[in-house]
Amino acid sequence: MANSVLNVESLNVEFNMEGNYFHAVRDVSFKIEPGETLGLVGESGCGKSVTSLALVRLLTQSARVTGKIEYQGKNLLDLPERDMRDIRGNEISMIFQEPMTSLNPVYKIGAQISETLLLHKDISPREAFQQSLEMLKKVGIPRPEDIMDEYPHQLSGGMRQRIMIAIAMACNPKLLIADEPTTALDVTIQAQILELMKGISKDLGTSILLITHDLGVVAEMCDRVAVMYAGQIVEQGSVDDIFFNPQHPYTRGLLNAIPKIDAEQKQRLQPIEGNVPPITRMPKGCRFSPRCMHASDRCRAQQPGFFQVDNAEHLSRCWLNEAKEA
Amino acid sequence: MLKYILRRILELIPTLIGISLISFIMIHIVPGNPVRILLGNRYTVARAAALTKQLGLNKPLWQQFLIWLWNILHGNFGYSYVYDKPVVKLVLQAIPHTLVIVVVSVMFAHIFAVFLGAVQAYFQDTIFDQVVTVINYFFYSMPSFWLAILLIIFFAIDLPWFPSGGIVNPQATNPSFADFLHHLVLPVASLFLVSVAGWARFMRSSMREALLQDYVRTARMKGAREFRVLFIHALRNSIIPLITLLGLSLPALLSGALFVEEIFNYPGMGLLYWNAIMSRDYPIIMGVTFFLGVVTILGNLLSDVLYAVIDPRIQYQ
Repeated sequence: MANSVLNVESLNVEFNMEGNYFHAVRDVSFKIEPGETLGLVGESGCGKSVTSLALVRLLTQSARVTGKIEYQGKNLLDLPERDMRDIRGNEISMIFQEPMTSLNPVYKIGAQISETLLLHKDISPREAFQQSLEMLKKVGIPRPEDIMDEYPHQLSGGMRQRIMIAIAMACNPKLLIADEPTTALDVTIQAQILELMKGISKDLGTSILLITHDLGVVAEMCDRVAVMYAGQIVEQGSVDDIFFNPQHPYTRGLLNAIPKIDAEQKQRLQPIEGNVPPITRMPKGCRFSPRCMHASDRCRAQQPGFFQVDNAEHLSRCWLNEAKEA
Repeated sequence: MLKYILRRILELIPTLIGISLISFIMIHIVPGNPVRILLGNRYTVARAAALTKQLGLNKPLWQQFLIWLWNILHGNFGYSYVYDKPVVKLVLQAIPHTLVIVVVSVMFAHIFAVFLGAVQAYFQDTIFDQVVTVINYFFYSMPSFWLAILLIIFFAIDLPWFPSGGIVNPQATNPSFADFLHHLVLPVASLFLVSVAGWARFMRSSMREALLQDYVRTARMKGAREFRVLFIHALRNSIIPLITLLGLSLPALLSGALFVEEIFNYPGMGLLYWNAIMSRDYPIIMGVTFFLGVVTILGNLLSDVLYAVIDPRIQYQ
């Protein structure tokens, strides 16, 4: 589709470790359509955050990023830094996992929101201040006039995440990347923040790339889901596909590991045994094979590609799906 | 805030009594006797006894101390044995000269060190950073008096660009301001070079830490230029620990000025102190020590107040 907001094709991120490059993200491709929320799910250390930082080119110098990140007909990886700066915070914005530390402790809230506007829009400080105030109202901050004049340390985590959302949304971006935006918050606050993001994306038509390890959040928020494991996307599809017809053993494992309120008392949770392999020691075949109970010799020797499952949008990177496709 | 400052100033009193007591004991432990020095080769036992009595040095030490303390309470810091002038007058004559050297060098050193450290942190582990680090260590490990002597050799003798001492040309009847500045260059340069090195190291590590913080990533995410990220977002946070150093370095610089003043024959507090110690001029030693104590405590207070100005999270009650 030509009118996708973001079209990522075979994105690779490698880190230089003592002279050798290791893949943290390998051959990741996905699209984000206008107004859609795409969930990027996976365990800690599977490359979700690296992927998101690579999209806005905020990784450290030691990272080598290749592939294609197409935004409005341009490959973001080829843009000069100057043009990339114009996009950041303006057309593509991001909020982070740690609202407690993501705001600058020595500047007032008002100044921190206005800054984004002043960097990208040709407006006076007074107008920027007014628009920031409007943003604060939009993200549901009580006493917005007072808060404009306060410092981050005077606010709670939930409030600070609202401020971060206000900063990210100030220029009305086309895409908001949210990297575990609710992980550091209380459950009740989580729900409020998710509700807020949902509302804003609906009102302004912003697409969201939501990075999370919480499948509950995915079910709540997302239209489509990409499941990541060890730097690769292993399954991709609509929310219904992923929740009701999961194909990849890893996706199934994740779903099984969710506690259910209506489960029988004696029933134990089924965690996935083992851990994500470190990027320096990736298994040769399918990256999930060492932890997979269905793994065959072929899985251990040869990496599977994507196989279509029941519809064109539902893809799974598992040899078990090969037969079904044929 | 005002109440806090007032309380801190009241805390001066016990601290100053303590400082005075210790320095009083110290100067009397040190061998040497002002009477012997004052009389020189006119020394006779009778004259010495008369002078000792005249200066009140025949009384028991605890009485001498209490008399001194009592006089201080009345604003009387005594008379210099050597100059036969009130201590207050001598100190007031010397202070401006020291302040000029110290304030100018501290100001330049601080601004330059903040800038240098910040840029070093930004380009950490590049050739630039490594070269600057080596130069920094060179100056950091160099004692100020030694550096001062080298500067005189290079820039006053080998290359006669600057005068080697004094505040103005002694032959000039009506010395100009330019002449005054000309004499200021080498003493200020020696203090500047010695203090920049340490502060830049400090700033570098503080800035390195700041650059790893989440709010720096947020600033980049907003689309801010690297210049803005470094000097607006990270700088103000990383400068906070440096402020303590500024307050603490004020007295250290006054004593650093001691050697520099001695070498450049610059008639400031340092030279006054130095000469007083050499001739066991007790009233001046006590007066200057007292003054340095006040400066130390005020320096600390100044940095605490600056803290609150720069970091909104700090509030004083």
